[in-house]
Amino acid sequence: MTPVLELRDLRVTYAGGHEAVRGVDLTLRSGQTLGLAGESGCGKSSLAMSVLRLLPKDATVSGEILLDGADTRTMSWGRLRAVRWASASIVFQGAMHALNPVRRIGQQIAEPILLHATSPPDEVDARVAELLAQVELPPEKAQAYPHELSGGQKQRVMIAMALACRPRLVIADEPTTALDVIVQAQVLRLLTRLVSEHGIGLVMISHDLSVLGSVCERLAVMYEGEIVELGTAPTVVHDPQHAHTQALAAAFPTVGDPASRYAPATTNPAGLPPRVVPEAGEPLLRTESLRVDFRDRGGGWTHAVRDVNLEVGRGEIVALVGQSGSGKTTLARTVLGLQQPTSGQVLFEGRPLPRGGRALRDYRRQAQLVLQDPSSALNPRHSVYEAIAEGLRIHRMPGDERALVAAALEAAELRPAQRFMPVLPHQLSGGQRQRVVIAGALALRPRLLVADEPVASLDASVRGEILALLLRLRAELGLAALVITHDLGLAWNIADRVAVMYRGELVEVGDVEQVLLEPRHEYTRSLLAALPEVAAPA
Amino acid sequence: MTSPVWARRRAAAGRVWREFAANRGGLVGVVVLGLFVLTAILAPLLISESSLDVTRATGQRLESPSGDFPLGTDENGLSVLTLTLWGTRLSLVVGLAAAVLSVLIGTTVGILAGHFGGWLSAVLLRFTDFFLIMPSLVLAIALSAVLEGGAGTIILAIGVVSWPTSARLVRAQTLAVEARPYIERARALGGGHGHVIFKHVLPSVLPLVFVNTTLAVGTAIVAESTLRFLGLGSTSEITWGGLLRSASSSGAITYGAWWYLLPPGIAIVLLVLAFTLVGRALETVLNPKLRERR
Repeated sequence: MTPVLELRDLRVTYAGGHEAVRGVDLTLRSGQTLGLAGESGCGKSSLAMSVLRLLPKDATVSGEILLDGADTRTMSWGRLRAVRWASASIVFQGAMHALNPVRRIGQQIAEPILLHATSPPDEVDARVAELLAQVELPPEKAQAYPHELSGGQKQRVMIAMALACRPRLVIADEPTTALDVIVQAQVLRLLTRLVSEHGIGLVMISHDLSVLGSVCERLAVMYEGEIVELGTAPTVVHDPQHAHTQALAAAFPTVGDPASRYAPATTNPAGLPPRVVPEAGEPLLRTESLRVDFRDRGGGWTHAVRDVNLEVGRGEIVALVGQSGSGKTTLARTVLGLQQPTSGQVLFEGRPLPRGGRALRDYRRQAQLVLQDPSSALNPRHSVYEAIAEGLRIHRMPGDERALVAAALEAAELRPAQRFMPVLPHQLSGGQRQRVVIAGALALRPRLLVADEPVASLDASVRGEILALLLRLRAELGLAALVITHDLGLAWNIADRVAVMYRGELVEVGDVEQVLLEPRHEYTRSLLAALPEVAAPA
Repeated sequence: MTSPVWARRRAAAGRVWREFAANRGGLVGVVVLGLFVLTAILAPLLISESSLDVTRATGQRLESPSGDFPLGTDENGLSVLTLTLWGTRLSLVVGLAAAVLSVLIGTTVGILAGHFGGWLSAVLLRFTDFFLIMPSLVLAIALSAVLEGGAGTIILAIGVVSWPTSARLVRAQTLAVEARPYIERARALGGGHGHVIFKHVLPSVLPLVFVNTTLAVGTAIVAESTLRFLGLGSTSEITWGGLLRSASSSGAITYGAWWYLLPPGIAIVLLVLAFTLVGRALETVLNPKLRERR
């Protein structure tokens, strides 16, 4: 039987000589699932797009791309058009932007069906309803517009679209990246079921090995345009051979694995600090029945934060865990005085947070923010030096500015400091940018760091380095941290205590081991159950 | 520290210039503009005071172009060429000053409205709307009639009337910049309103403001000529709009004295065109939205 997809010595070169894919051979038979893992820039998306010849014009493709035995690289334009979507379809990355906001879901799902005339026109509506049922959405959703759906529902619509013409091959490019753990688990389960029911070949692309491992039979790990490891999912995840696969596998720890407790994956020579026991006594930060309400457009109220009592001790790392929309970020902004509470108060060292003026500015020297996306958290016009000196100048910190900036860069492990000072943010990698943001915070010698998803937008290998840096800073400077995340593995990696937030309330607070290993609240249990699992090797 | 910063700025300026130079229209505009500026600066050296004095006029009334008077004479017997060249000075100065004043008010109002939001923004925007719907020419005429005087009044009248469009533009850009996370970071670092406005918002709206000023100069020059033509401002000042008015009131049109009407008219068109060409070219280089589309 001819394989659904066969790649022979595939090479993709972009104008300017950058070789994104260098000689990849892959075979996928129908009903098989293959996971393609790798970091940003490793060529995995270029590979996926080359299958349907969707690469930009400046890309040169060589080798053979056999889709059901026919080479799409040399296919005529008309033939290619017929093959696109009918034999192979793609679930694009970022479902939020891949749907047309002004057309109904039903019309968008019907579009490929009408184009390829795979169903008679009078049966199109029935086919759309059938597809919606397959992705577990009620048929009424055909009348909905994209903005009326949640992220997970949009992703389901994307999957329904991909299945519309009964393709033999589906390529899913990071299908769950922007989704919550719980929604991610639902989408992954759905993909697994559809693949086995319809005998489709699935190529799934992700940077997260455990997500791929929970869906795919085989995993291929890409590094700098080449496949460095290929094998069954359990072997690749549990017994990685190539150094890069090992780094990828270690980056996402298993919750409950004692080896990764207080030990994020790092290759930094500074290593991991000895374990620190946070000081007991008066907590550094305390919130007292904090409430934050927002007025809706409709005139109603959204209770973003309700009666939250949270403590962060001196030198303690607390992880605030929850789904998107659970009020985590609002809580963080309130703690920093960026958002006024509706009622209740925030106490820092036992004193209520000042509401404005000089006192609030002085408080902000003590508590610093690290944002999720370092590329937008830095003014693109300011050099690294200016970005770090910004806080020093605002607070008129005494001492030699240049020396203070250099010290902050050293503390954030950007060495040598002199080399980084004149550089602009866009010349840095994602991990380096996040270090600059952290250095900017450290320059003020704060007592508390509030980090909102500090590693969510970073590559797997960088993730561990940044987390290890947070641990070292705690050990060396006694820095306390409130880390906001949806990633339970992160909490397991670095936190002392974890607070689980659900619909604005803290449903469970306690030591990491206690909460993550013996969860008491139902919601915590469902979060833990949603973590992707990879079967152990036979 | 300053040397790498300056090296980077020089490099950035060089990049802007290269992109700008690739635009043929913009380059033509710069050359024409350069000639006008040169004329304005050199006029006092080339033209003596006496040749502008009515009492010492040497020519006849409305003499047609000849060797002595390449562009003929006006109703007082003064050379039209000399008058037109001299007029460049005031037209250029009034145009620039009025545009700068208008953009200055517009930028201030726009940034304040965009940054503070709330009731201040509501008040400022209604205020802007008020000026936006006023027929600007009528308002400018009323203002310059009330305020009495020379070029200063005209500058003020044009400036006060034409700022709302730049206020709207700057406000929109301010809102876009303020939504970026680095503003949140600056606030979390302890930065106050002044810090956010001067360190983050202003530098990123400045290119837009710069483009806007260039385009506004053209509009201001036309407005100035219109007001002068309608008889506002001091008659003792020599400007292109004033020349056109004297031409029409002295019966140059019925006389068929084209040499009196065309030079100031063409000068206005050329100068406005030059500013517009330069402004548009700068816009494609500096406006991030247009740059993406190309």
